[in-house]
Amino acid sequence: MSEENWVYALEVAELADGEKKALVIDGQRIALIRKTNEIFAISNKCVHMECPLSKGELEGYIIKCPCHDWRFDIRSGEFLDARELKVLVYELKVSDGKVYLKMEGENQ
Amino acid sequence: MDTEKRKQRLREMFQRVVDPLGYKFSPDEEIVDFLLEQEVIIEKEHGHPFCPCQGLTGEREIDMKIVCPCIPFHRAHFDAMKRCWCGLYVHKEVDDPDSLVQISRSEFEQMQKEGRI
Amino acid sequence: MYTLSTCPWCKKTKSFFAEKNIPFEFIDYDKASKEEQQKIREVCSAHGEGIAFPFVIIGDDVVVGYNPQKYMKLLES
Ligand code: FES
Repeated sequence: MSEENWVYALEVAELADGEKKALVIDGQRIALIRKTNEIFAISNKCVHMECPLSKGELEGYIIKCPCHDWRFDIRSGEFLDARELKVLVYELKVSDGKVYLKMEGENQ
Repeated sequence: MDTEKRKQRLREMFQRVVDPLGYKFSPDEEIVDFLLEQEVIIEKEHGHPFCPCQGLTGEREIDMKIVCPCIPFHRAHFDAMKRCWCGLYVHKEVDDPDSLVQISRSEFEQMQKEGRI
Repeated sequence: MYTLSTCPWCKKTKSFFAEKNIPFEFIDYDKASKEEQQKIREVCSAHGEGIAFPFVIIGDDVVVGYNPQKYMKLLES
C-alpha cells in the first residue's frame, strides 16, 4: 500500500536559479521551480482556470499566474488571497544531482 | 469555441474554486445560465470572463480582481450578502436567493464601522 | 441610472421602472465611450462605491444594486 513512488524528473543542472520548467509526469502537469539552492515542484495547473504557473513571474517564494495574476506560495501551494485554495505541492528529493518527485495517484 | 461547451467548462472550473470558499452556484438556474452566457461573451470580447455586473477600467491590476469567481478579492463584502455581487454564487446554505438583497460597498463599509457585521 | 448591458439586475431595475411607468434615463457603462466611463467611475467613487451596477440616482440619493423597496421609498419621498 504505502510503497513510495519516486519518479525521476530532471537533472538539478537543468534548472538555473530562478528558472521554471514545465514537465508532464504520470500524466500530471508539474512546474519545477528553482529558488537559489532549493527546488520546488507544484502542480502546473492554476486552481483558477488551469493556466501554466511555470509561465508566471517569480518574486521571492511567490509565483504569479500569467493569466489573471493569482499569487501562490510555492512552498505551501497556497493562494495568497484565499488560503483554502491551493495548488498541489509535490514532495521532492535530490540524489546524485537528479531530482525525483513523489507521485501519488492524485487527481491529475 | 461553442458557447454552451464553454459555459459548461467555466462551470466545472469555477465549481472547484468556489466550493472550498463556502459558496455554490445559485439555485436560480435561470440567472446562472444567463450570467455564464454573458461571461462567455465577455471572454470572447475581452479575453477573460469578467463579472457581468461590474465595470472594467482598463487597468490590469483593478480589472483582474473582477475576473470570475472574484470572491477572494471581495470576501468579507460577499460573505455579508451571502452572495457575490452578480448573484452567480451564494453561500452553500442559501436555498432562496431571492430573499437576499444586494448591499453596496459603501453600505457594507458603514455596517462594518458600526459593528453590525 | 448607470447600468451594464450584461447584468441581469440592471435589466430587472430597468423593467421595474418601466412597469411602474416611472420615466428614467440610463447609460450602459460597457457601451459608453471612454470619457463617459471615466465620468461614471468618478460618480461611483464620489459615493464611496466600487464600479458596481446598477447604480441608480433618485434625486440626491443613490441606490447601488437592485432594490425595489429602496427605489419606491425614495420615489415616494
Ligand atoms: S488561471 Fe491562474 S489566475 Fe486565472
